[in-house]
Amino acid sequence: MKFSLKLPTAKQDQFEERDDVSLNILQKRLIGVGVIIVFFLVVILLRFYFLQVTKGDDYKRRAYNNRIRISTVAPPRGHILDRMGREIVTNRPSFNVALVREDSRDIDGTLKKLGPVLGMSEEELWGRVREASDTPLYLPVTLKEDIDWQTLAYLEYNNREFSGVRIEVQPVRVYPYGDLAANIIGYLGSISKKELENADRSIYSGGDLIGKRGLERLREADLRGEKGKRYTEVNARGFEQQMLDGIEPMPGRDLQLTIDVDLQQIAENYMLAGEKSGAVVVLEVNTGRLLAAVSTPTIHIEDFVGGISRRKWKALMDNEHKPLMNKVVQGTYPPGSVYKMVTALAGLARGVVNENTSLFCPGSYRFGNRTYRCWKHSGHGMVNLCQALGQSCDVFFYQVGQWVGVDGLAKYATELGFGQQTGIEMEYEKSGLVPTKAWKQEVKKRKWQEGETLSVAIGQGFNLVTPIQIANMTATIANGGTLYRPQLVEKVIDPEGKVVEQFKPEVKSEIKDFSHFFQLIRQGMEEVIQGKRGTARQLRIEGLPFAGKTGTAQVVKVAQYRGLRDEDIPYKYRDHGWFTCYAPADKPEISVTVLVEHGLHGSSGAGPVARAVLKHYFAKRLKEGTLSAQE
Amino acid sequence: MYRIDRRLLEHFDVILMLLIVLTCTMALFNLYSASMPSPGGGLAPWMKQSIIMVGCFILFFVIISFDYKLLHILNYPFYFIIIASLLLADAIGATAGGAQRWIDLGLFNFQPSEPAKLMMVITLASYYARKEVSGGYSFFDILPPLGLMAVPFILILIQPDLGTSLMLIIIFASITMFVKLRWSAYVILLSLGSGAGIFAWLHLLKPYQKKRVETFLNPEHDLANQGYQILQSKIAVGSGGLTGSGYLNGTQGHLHFLPERHTDFAYSVLAEEWGFIGSFIFLLIYFGMLFWGLYVGMTSKDRFGTLLAFGVVTLIFWQAVINLFMIMGFLPVVGIPLPLVSYGGSSLITTMMGLAILMNVRIRRFNPITGGNH
Repeated sequence: MKFSLKLPTAKQDQFEERDDVSLNILQKRLIGVGVIIVFFLVVILLRFYFLQVTKGDDYKRRAYNNRIRISTVAPPRGHILDRMGREIVTNRPSFNVALVREDSRDIDGTLKKLGPVLGMSEEELWGRVREASDTPLYLPVTLKEDIDWQTLAYLEYNNREFSGVRIEVQPVRVYPYGDLAANIIGYLGSISKKELENADRSIYSGGDLIGKRGLERLREADLRGEKGKRYTEVNARGFEQQMLDGIEPMPGRDLQLTIDVDLQQIAENYMLAGEKSGAVVVLEVNTGRLLAAVSTPTIHIEDFVGGISRRKWKALMDNEHKPLMNKVVQGTYPPGSVYKMVTALAGLARGVVNENTSLFCPGSYRFGNRTYRCWKHSGHGMVNLCQALGQSCDVFFYQVGQWVGVDGLAKYATELGFGQQTGIEMEYEKSGLVPTKAWKQEVKKRKWQEGETLSVAIGQGFNLVTPIQIANMTATIANGGTLYRPQLVEKVIDPEGKVVEQFKPEVKSEIKDFSHFFQLIRQGMEEVIQGKRGTARQLRIEGLPFAGKTGTAQVVKVAQYRGLRDEDIPYKYRDHGWFTCYAPADKPEISVTVLVEHGLHGSSGAGPVARAVLKHYFAKRLKEGTLSAQE
Repeated sequence: MYRIDRRLLEHFDVILMLLIVLTCTMALFNLYSASMPSPGGGLAPWMKQSIIMVGCFILFFVIISFDYKLLHILNYPFYFIIIASLLLADAIGATAGGAQRWIDLGLFNFQPSEPAKLMMVITLASYYARKEVSGGYSFFDILPPLGLMAVPFILILIQPDLGTSLMLIIIFASITMFVKLRWSAYVILLSLGSGAGIFAWLHLLKPYQKKRVETFLNPEHDLANQGYQILQSKIAVGSGGLTGSGYLNGTQGHLHFLPERHTDFAYSVLAEEWGFIGSFIFLLIYFGMLFWGLYVGMTSKDRFGTLLAFGVVTLIFWQAVINLFMIMGFLPVVGIPLPLVSYGGSSLITTMMGLAILMNVRIRRFNPITGGNH
């Protein structure tokens, strides 16, 4: 202390006195300094007041949003069952890797690290992120679906290295029966931007799976269920700290179909085993229930789980057998001889023929300056309606058609459900085509040629039908004139097991007072199978009398292929083979329609498939012999 | 040995001491909350800060037992030690945050740029106290202090620590303006300053430093980095509302939304947890301490005491204003701590030394010649 005071005090006397005034001035200046400090204090307090009191609630909300993540929990989609309750489609959990951009402070770095783990390139991952560029940052972007257990374990264990990355559990579809009924069921896919635009945003958000095709799309509202919500507290790195609250997801409603898995499978296997492209339709004739609806070749439905690759999609698109087309309703074909029932009904209804009418078939028919051949060049001789149907005599129906006229044929074709959608719950159903004079004038800008009526009468010409239309026509003939809307859904069952929707037969129209005519047609169809000269007599099932009709639909009328052996004709020029039938003959229960594209002949290409279906359907009663006893 | 003057004890300023102790206590409590959950590994920040704080109070009483006039002499070794430390930090200092700012002292990383600020205050106060010019200082009068400031300024700037080096300029400007300059000196200084500023922008500033300035001018632009921190701070502060979320109940800090939550943004935690009312009370006490410091300056017995008091108040005040402005979203993130509140040994020791000098001036306010008090 002594030392410290000495040096300054030596000088002190000299300037302490004169310094007094200037010191006072300096000290007064501190008042001004105080004013400046007060000014800053006021500014700071006002700002705090503004942030905390005026805007306090706003920032409280933002703080809440900062730490609370509302994540949605995807509901298990409804199952799809067959008529016996067997599961055709169910769910399993899929573990998806998702990125919450808001929580990731270094998206680039995270994706770089994530690439090798997921086996994806950085560019692919960025692509996923970019696709979601217009969604809010707090919404997760799915980077990869359905990772395996090892990847899952690795990511969970090292989660601190991947900021903003989350594992989400999403139920995905499993198909216990493989590709069975894929044409009916359809598949799911990520919701597209366009779909999202039109969707109810309270239900859908980006990255959701949505039905893209088939029942998955048509019954989306039933199947999807309701999303659950989960409120979790996260820290700034996006790691979940604790779960606060949540709403359980509500599973979707189950669909029980009218389909019988066994029938569907038998039909599908028969078609696939013979590498037949085409369609099989099995209907209950007295209700319109669809028992089986096969379209081959089938798609590999598993390929669509988690998104189909571009390559596989292109392969499906390019396939000449058109696996993506549901041929049951989307395939339109000339009906060939199965159309003769329409011509028969028209002839009977118009009174130009009756059960006693017999016409002579010399093997061809001369009309105008052209000769129209019967498929049997040696001719059928004298045939009545029943025999004409049974032996599929073209000459008989040329004349019936000519007498009724094309518009008359069209009238009854329409009554039997042609030229219009059957209304089954399948997508993009085609109406087919029932030609009339007016139609030709309008579309082709040409006058109808009478000769063309002859072609129409035997199912060639302009006619186009779908397999489901033929099946429905067969059912209508079998049940005596009731045209049902074919249906696919037996029940809709909610998660508590309550039935929300129950199948009711739906009559589209009834053809009244024709029961006698239908009976005559049925006799003719029975003749096809049971008759000595029936075109499909080789399909006969011991103990099960049934009735049907074969058809061969010409694809091209090219003379150069005439007379060639079947297998020498190029595939795409081969004729389509039709076979449609109902059984049992006396008390019809089901109708079976088979179309084999380019299958040459109805009886050989399509018939065996129908026969197998019938044998299975009636297997129990065949064994017991109860069917033949009725005869 | 020396005996302690009885008048020293009589003049011990209880109010100043009370304000300092109150501020330090509240700051430590806040730091406890701000360091939750503990980063793990070694002592928790609040624990370290408490230990240093105890050391600071011992240092405090050591400093007030010596006459502040001794600083006229001590200033020289002090200056050279700081310059040497800065050189050492620049040369071999441990790398932290991409900048060479630290010397590892075990308990804490010593950051010589912090005491450099106090050293600047003492140097300028000493110079202006001894060289008094009537009618204001001319440009040539302030060349020596300008030179004394330039050396540590450059050493800190190249660390690089733009914020702290600018603090030196702010302290220099404040004290120099306080002692009054001639108009001619203002003109020369301003033109030199703006010339240097433009040159620095074009040639000296690192890209991240430019970015900070740009972010300040357009805060919403770069939300991911700079703006993000400020926004998070505003959210934390604002979410406190009127009454706050309650001590230890703040969510933004604890969930790491708030960056640097126990250092630069420690006050955001206080504001979130105590709300506007808590903020208001704390700031009144904190600024009360500064006002009391001005009062110390007004009652000092000599020019050196007044300048020291003003310098210490300036040192704390500007750092507080810059830090609070940053927290409230008025300024970019510049890395200036809130003295006493932000975690950091160097800053705490520097501030406590400054406050000790303030107390020193206060208890020696009696005039040894006249024996009267101011």
